[in-house]
Amino acid sequence: MSRPWAGGSPGRRCRLLAGALALGACGPSEAPVPPRLSLAGVLGGVDTAGYDRAVEPRPIGLPADHGPHPGFRSEWWYLTGNLEGDGGRPFGFQLTIFRASLAPAAPTSASAWATNQAYMAHLALTDPQAGRFLARERFARGAQGLAGASADPLRVWLGDWRLEGGGPGGPSGMTLRASDADLTVELDLEPGKPVVLQGERGLSRKGPRPGNASYYYSLTRMPARGRVVSGKDTIDVAGTAWLDREWSTSVLPDGVVGWDWFALQLDDGWDVMAYRLRRGDGSASPFSEGVVVDPAGRAVGLTWGTDVEVEQTGAWTSPHSGVRYPSGWVLTVPSRGWRLRLEPLMADQELDLSFRYWEGAVTVRGEQRGSGPTGRGYVELTGYDGNPPAR
Amino acid sequence: MSLLRRSSARYHLQHPTQLALTALGVALGVAVVVAVHLAVRSSRAAFRASVETVAGRATHVVTPASGGLDERLIRHIRVDLGIDRAAPIVEGYATSAALPGRVLRVLGVDPFSEAPFRAWAVDGSVGLDVARFVTAADGVMLPAGTAAGAGVRAGDTLPVSVNGRPWTLRVAGLVDPKDALTSEGVRDLLLVDIATAQTILGMTGRLSRIDLWLPDDEAGRQELARVRSVLPPDARLEPAGARADVLRGMIDAFDLNLTALSLLALIFGMFLVYNAMTFSVVRRREMLGGLRALGVTRRQIVGIVLAEAALIGGVGAVLGTLLGVGLGRGLVGMVLRTVNDLWLVVSVERLTLPPVALSGGVLLGILATLVASLPPAVEAATSPPRLARMRSTLEERARRMVPRAAALGSISAVAGVALVGLSTHSLGVSFAALFLLVLGLALLTPLATVVLIGVLRPVASWAGGLLGTMASRGVVTTLSRTAPAVAALVVALSVTVGLGVMIDSFRGTLTRWLDATLQADLYVSLPSVLASRADGTLDPVVVEALIAHPAVEGHSTYRSRDLRLGDRLVRLVAVELDRRGEAGFDFVRTVGDRTFDRFRTGDGVLVSEPLAYRMRLSVEDGLELPTPDGVSRLRVLGVFRDYGSDQGVVMMSRSAFDRLFRDTGVTSLGLFLAPGVDLARVVSELEARVASVGDQAVLVRPTAALREGSLQVFERTFRVTAVLRMLALIVAFVGVLSALMALELERARELGVLRSIGLTPGQVWGLVTTQTGLLGFVAGILSLPIGVVLSIVMIEVINRRSFGWSLDLGVGAAVLAQAVALALVAALLAGLYPAWRMSRASPAAALRGE
Repeated sequence: MSRPWAGGSPGRRCRLLAGALALGACGPSEAPVPPRLSLAGVLGGVDTAGYDRAVEPRPIGLPADHGPHPGFRSEWWYLTGNLEGDGGRPFGFQLTIFRASLAPAAPTSASAWATNQAYMAHLALTDPQAGRFLARERFARGAQGLAGASADPLRVWLGDWRLEGGGPGGPSGMTLRASDADLTVELDLEPGKPVVLQGERGLSRKGPRPGNASYYYSLTRMPARGRVVSGKDTIDVAGTAWLDREWSTSVLPDGVVGWDWFALQLDDGWDVMAYRLRRGDGSASPFSEGVVVDPAGRAVGLTWGTDVEVEQTGAWTSPHSGVRYPSGWVLTVPSRGWRLRLEPLMADQELDLSFRYWEGAVTVRGEQRGSGPTGRGYVELTGYDGNPPAR
Repeated sequence: MSLLRRSSARYHLQHPTQLALTALGVALGVAVVVAVHLAVRSSRAAFRASVETVAGRATHVVTPASGGLDERLIRHIRVDLGIDRAAPIVEGYATSAALPGRVLRVLGVDPFSEAPFRAWAVDGSVGLDVARFVTAADGVMLPAGTAAGAGVRAGDTLPVSVNGRPWTLRVAGLVDPKDALTSEGVRDLLLVDIATAQTILGMTGRLSRIDLWLPDDEAGRQELARVRSVLPPDARLEPAGARADVLRGMIDAFDLNLTALSLLALIFGMFLVYNAMTFSVVRRREMLGGLRALGVTRRQIVGIVLAEAALIGGVGAVLGTLLGVGLGRGLVGMVLRTVNDLWLVVSVERLTLPPVALSGGVLLGILATLVASLPPAVEAATSPPRLARMRSTLEERARRMVPRAAALGSISAVAGVALVGLSTHSLGVSFAALFLLVLGLALLTPLATVVLIGVLRPVASWAGGLLGTMASRGVVTTLSRTAPAVAALVVALSVTVGLGVMIDSFRGTLTRWLDATLQADLYVSLPSVLASRADGTLDPVVVEALIAHPAVEGHSTYRSRDLRLGDRLVRLVAVELDRRGEAGFDFVRTVGDRTFDRFRTGDGVLVSEPLAYRMRLSVEDGLELPTPDGVSRLRVLGVFRDYGSDQGVVMMSRSAFDRLFRDTGVTSLGLFLAPGVDLARVVSELEARVASVGDQAVLVRPTAALREGSLQVFERTFRVTAVLRMLALIVAFVGVLSALMALELERARELGVLRSIGLTPGQVWGLVTTQTGLLGFVAGILSLPIGVVLSIVMIEVINRRSFGWSLDLGVGAAVLAQAVALALVAALLAGLYPAWRMSRASPAAALRGE
């Protein structure tokens, strides 16, 4: 689940790309103040004519489905993970490549620049020891080789930020290479556990209407090894990553303003994911749900409110944007006897970019002795910046 | 108010005409300077706004030496090198039936790359549907003002024409930048997606440039080096400002010429002031002598004269500045039109009114007045009290000054000539020389006047008897007043003569050159946005259809494009010449008889005279040209005359061009028709053929029409100069009028004596007009040789150093006659009023004096 970007109604796309355009309006070396975009808004969408829709489950096959699905309006390759350097120096990382179709069909033109495909990517590195959270974004059209995606060989890239097949461990092994002025993430990723199909065999319903859904699968525990550059430090790292793959044309139903997404990798080999689709009054939409994955990769779905529940234990106000986010939670899975306390590695893991959201590494431990294993995880908080949904 | 001031005020109030004419002299001089300054400044501001707004925040820019960049370069930079802040740009020009007479700049951008560069495109965008903009292939964003002018709103269609082809764009949104400068800078800009731009501009696969934003630190320098390493040999990477400098450099010479001309106008104004103040001092010599005898100090006298001057100068300068602003409004359009005709499209037409320029104009006027009044003020103060009252002393000294002035003038003129002789390309030195020459010649005029009057006296005596003798002698005996007047007139007249001769020479040279160059019967080109240059590509099927017409016996093809040579932007023209076309070259120098044989085989290039001058090239020299495969060194086979581009032209044979630049397009065609065919019929048949093979509209013009068009551009180009010349004429006219009128009014007492000893009013009238006529005639005659000398300097030195053109001196009788006639008419008019007054006044009243 998760994730900001996609096409929307014409008005929203306008704001979306206006955001993209204005990104550097203040110059790369100055504090950017781009216009803000509503995540929930752009993922709603009315103008779905001509696009493919996620209506019923379909077979998901790899590596083909690692590749792009240009018939759908939006799609992402979402990698997050917790890493450790020598001596246990902790890091969190995120590389997300978003794809959007700007129109159902590619324009016919003699120009090789003509395309209906647009890409955006976010790269972030959390370095609590240095007290540093670095986040960058890039945009490109899916033309001239500036950005694109292919299944075979697997290659998803924007500029020189890229996710490629051919890493260790078979067809889902990958390499990730991305760097900007003062941060670099270079990792070899093994598939780890088998693919987890979210929702109903990979069809993840987000709302009551047919088509308010996405195709969604995850690799929940990918062993990762490589190096990161944080400022002037270059550190060899190892850890585990989480890959979310999701594509859709219209996801969010009316009334949903954002979501809280939790993905935890526990030290006893279990993984858990849960998301709450948040309505305007703060309550959870009935389409909120989750999954637990055992050490062998067997997944069991969770219903929000009964199988899984999250309480907020703290809050943090961003000094960059003034937005107030939850910060600290207790996640409960009664069937496993877990009451897990989640604490951000750093309070400030806000991506203050064209799309503003909080996405950060967290530590996990049982709330009391015996109430659950320790672990690491990632949390994503969207829709807190007060931008009402566009619809 | 002190006695001194009262007497001064009284004097001037009693002579309001004098006062007004003096102020007018200052006003005109200041007006011209202010107007030209504002026009030049505004055109520069326009240029800056246009270029910099479009350039955005780029720190560096990659440009092709010629043609376009291979679009794949952007992938090397962004993907292989990982440099994200690189934006591809495709640009060109269009016109629209909805905006007649306007040249629209087409800026093709990739919106996803734009963020660091052109915030205005975003901040000010209203109602933009970016997805549609990118995917629809016809989306356009345009400034709100331009949209209003075209009567279109978001969602409407806008018809445009590019290289003769019609396109229909749909308004995706409006650009409405918040700050005024950007708002001006985007005027008449069509912002389209890069794919749309490539399609409509015919630039598929190519980019006009790549904008880069690189930090100014070590990392940035490393990125710079990495970008440099992936560039093809014919691409340049340079700071964004350097490119603007190259463009700006093209209009520098033009601006400097205008500014220098305007300073000449101020010098006329100073002469007028000098004349008027000298005169007022001379007239008051008795009063000033009296004051001195009463104990007024010299310092006080100088003070009072300068105070008068400052006051008059102040009034004149304020008037002149106001006048200059009005005049500047007119001039700025002309200046921009010329810039657009000759160099590049600049779309801002707003007069910039910097307060500094305005207060500067006032200050300049006052200062010029004070400087010009200093000699008369000192004159008034240095004479001993009693002597000051004696007219004869003054005239004595004036006569003694004649040879001294002549000597000084000779030195100044010789220095001017010597300065010209210095082998330098500096335009500033050339203008300094011109000013020295003008000053020197002006100082020589008193001597020339004395000599010339000596020659004319017998004629005047023969024609007018005693009165004729008196009139001619009067000129010499009142030299203190006549000499400055004549000098002022000569300067003003000679500059008008010089400019006139220069323009005539240019026109004559251009006409002869066009007649010689335009050898074909018909010329085919695309409707061009820059009047002076052909652009675009003729559809090959159009070319085929035209040359297949039975009446077409032969043809020449031309391919023109910009070529960056070092810091210069020149024209590269590839030609495939019909043999008859080869006769059209007017060579200054060639390698010899086999020039064209060697040229056709691609053994070398021909360069135009301005280019040879600027790059100091001669035949057999090597010229290094950047090509897609690297630098190619070609021999200069000939230097030919060309008045089409002051930046310079490199001409190469088609075969060499195709090989070096891999471009087979044709920009224009010359068609040679079978003898005896009906030109009009062939033109209409050719037009029908063009229409039948495609949608590209081309111009098929008979040679006469092309020639006419070129001359029209010439006339437009020189309109500013012509306006300045007219102003010089007006200043000269006012000068003659005021100087001579003052002279005669001052003789009231003398004429009173003559009347009392029996001269009839008619005889007085005859005496006065003969004298003013003589003076006018003398000034007119003297201005002719001086004017011709000035025109020679302008043609051989200023023009050559500014534009590199060699012009044939052609002295037209009309220009000369005009100067003399002007001087005479003004002189006679100047005599009318004093003569009328004298003939009416009772002799007794005149004798009583003031």
